[in-house]
Amino acid sequence: MPFKRTPQQFAASIKEVTIGTGDKAVTLGGENVFPLYSFDAPISNPPKVGVEFSDTGPDRSVPGIAAFYAGADSLGDVAKRACDMPGADFVSLVLESADPNGDDMPIEECVALCREVAEAVSLPLVIQGSKNVEKDAKLFEKVAEALQGKNVLLMSAREDNHKAIAVAAVMAYGQKIGAESSVDINLAKQLNVLVSQLGIGGENVVMNLGTAAAGYGFEYVASTMDRVRGAALAQNDNMLQMPAITPVAGDAWSVKESVAPEEDFPEWGPAEQRGVSMEISTAASVLAAGANAVILRHPDSVAAVSKLVSELM
Amino acid sequence: MGKFITIGERIHCISPAIRAAMESKDPEPILKRAKEQLDAGAVYLDVNIGPAEKTGEDLMKWAVTLLQEHFDNVPLCLDTANKKAIAAGISVYNRAKGKPIVNSADAGDRISYLALAAENDAICISLCSKSGVPADNDERMAYCQEMLEYGTERGMEPEDLWFDPLCLVIKGMQDKQAEMLEFVRQLSDMGFNSVCGLSNVSNGMPKTVRPIMDSVMLAMAMQCGLTSAIVNPCDLRIMETVKSADIILNKTLYADSYLEL
Repeated sequence: MPFKRTPQQFAASIKEVTIGTGDKAVTLGGENVFPLYSFDAPISNPPKVGVEFSDTGPDRSVPGIAAFYAGADSLGDVAKRACDMPGADFVSLVLESADPNGDDMPIEECVALCREVAEAVSLPLVIQGSKNVEKDAKLFEKVAEALQGKNVLLMSAREDNHKAIAVAAVMAYGQKIGAESSVDINLAKQLNVLVSQLGIGGENVVMNLGTAAAGYGFEYVASTMDRVRGAALAQNDNMLQMPAITPVAGDAWSVKESVAPEEDFPEWGPAEQRGVSMEISTAASVLAAGANAVILRHPDSVAAVSKLVSELM
Repeated sequence: MGKFITIGERIHCISPAIRAAMESKDPEPILKRAKEQLDAGAVYLDVNIGPAEKTGEDLMKWAVTLLQEHFDNVPLCLDTANKKAIAAGISVYNRAKGKPIVNSADAGDRISYLALAAENDAICISLCSKSGVPADNDERMAYCQEMLEYGTERGMEPEDLWFDPLCLVIKGMQDKQAEMLEFVRQLSDMGFNSVCGLSNVSNGMPKTVRPIMDSVMLAMAMQCGLTSAIVNPCDLRIMETVKSADIILNKTLYADSYLEL
């Protein structure tokens, strides 16, 4: 009997979320097929690749990153340079210095940095917080206000601060938010329910389902993302139909395989190449599991992952 | 198999308020009952206009348009002995949220309702009975096969025949309940959709007892594979049961607020 291929299209689809404004705005989601299954139905918005840098600047200890940003001294210059990275669809500023357990930069100064970056960029902007629940709630409210009209994505609204962030960012200032859960499918859904109960529609929310570097509990990340996408499409669960974004860089560049010096592990080869490999393999894996966007640091990773996406579409 | 489908039963001409509203074409009482049921989580709404021999076509068109315009094309179950009225209702029905359901056919005098459903690409509630209550599951299955053959010969997909095993009142027919559940299991094993008029089981019991009996029967039937039921969605206990059973049967992903969805 000849093989008859039946395209697996769902009646449900992932909601579209647009960040940024004008020609360079990017739209995440919209597909009604499993991740990267463009052979089942066209994927109108292929996954997007973002370039991450910290508010202290890019990680210049990595030679390829240092070389790419050479001469870009102010944060505004760094942001502008990041937009020129081949393969970049958006950029992402991490407000690392805001962390109360670290530099504890005052909110006004953080807002000023965000303004500087927002003025400099030509691509849509995604802002990652300090990872401190209380600080982020206050910080994102002010950032949302300062960047009104830019349509930025503010990561991360979590269970304990989602209300303050969602109300300020989306309802008051028209920004987008990232609903962050850490590898917990039930919490991912619950957070979307809570946000929707505030009257906020799915077109304003992107999910950050949590991440891990490949080899560091990544199988939990993959199965969570698979299950979420399966429920969204096969069970038409509208509380899980938001697109997903995965900040890959932080984990990928902090595991031993990426940071151990070559002199300690000569058989592993150059550290930079290992970090790039870790970043690419993690990004490719989350894209296969359902991420609509990944955030990376190294120019080689950005180039490789954007090439992967464009060749699969 | 997807989530359990609840069909709200409260737009029924047996209710004096609804009957009066249907006679005078007063939208308010009907819209109010529709909203209550949808807010409570009903998926389909049953629209029972009674026999409506003279005015049925006009009345069903009016009711379908009224409800679908007000509630984002809510899917409806058209319930009357007047076949022309069902056809008239379907002629103005919007399928954006689901096919219309014809309520109902059986293997006896009402078998032609399946032809009506086939002609109109509708789902049809198919009672596994002919004249009176089936004696046992062999009889139920024979009627089921008769209706399946009749419907599919006329172009229906088997999944559009929603077989009703016929819930029997517990008071007086207590010994028949386990058999009815077993029949739901047989339907499920064969991959068929099923439906039942749930409140029948608790007929004649005190008001305080009925929701408990109905909910437990529903949970047991869902475990046997029941895919939908005609219920009073404003009965909180029933809706909590449906939502919880959908979680336990892994039809929908759990979240702490699942009862609010």
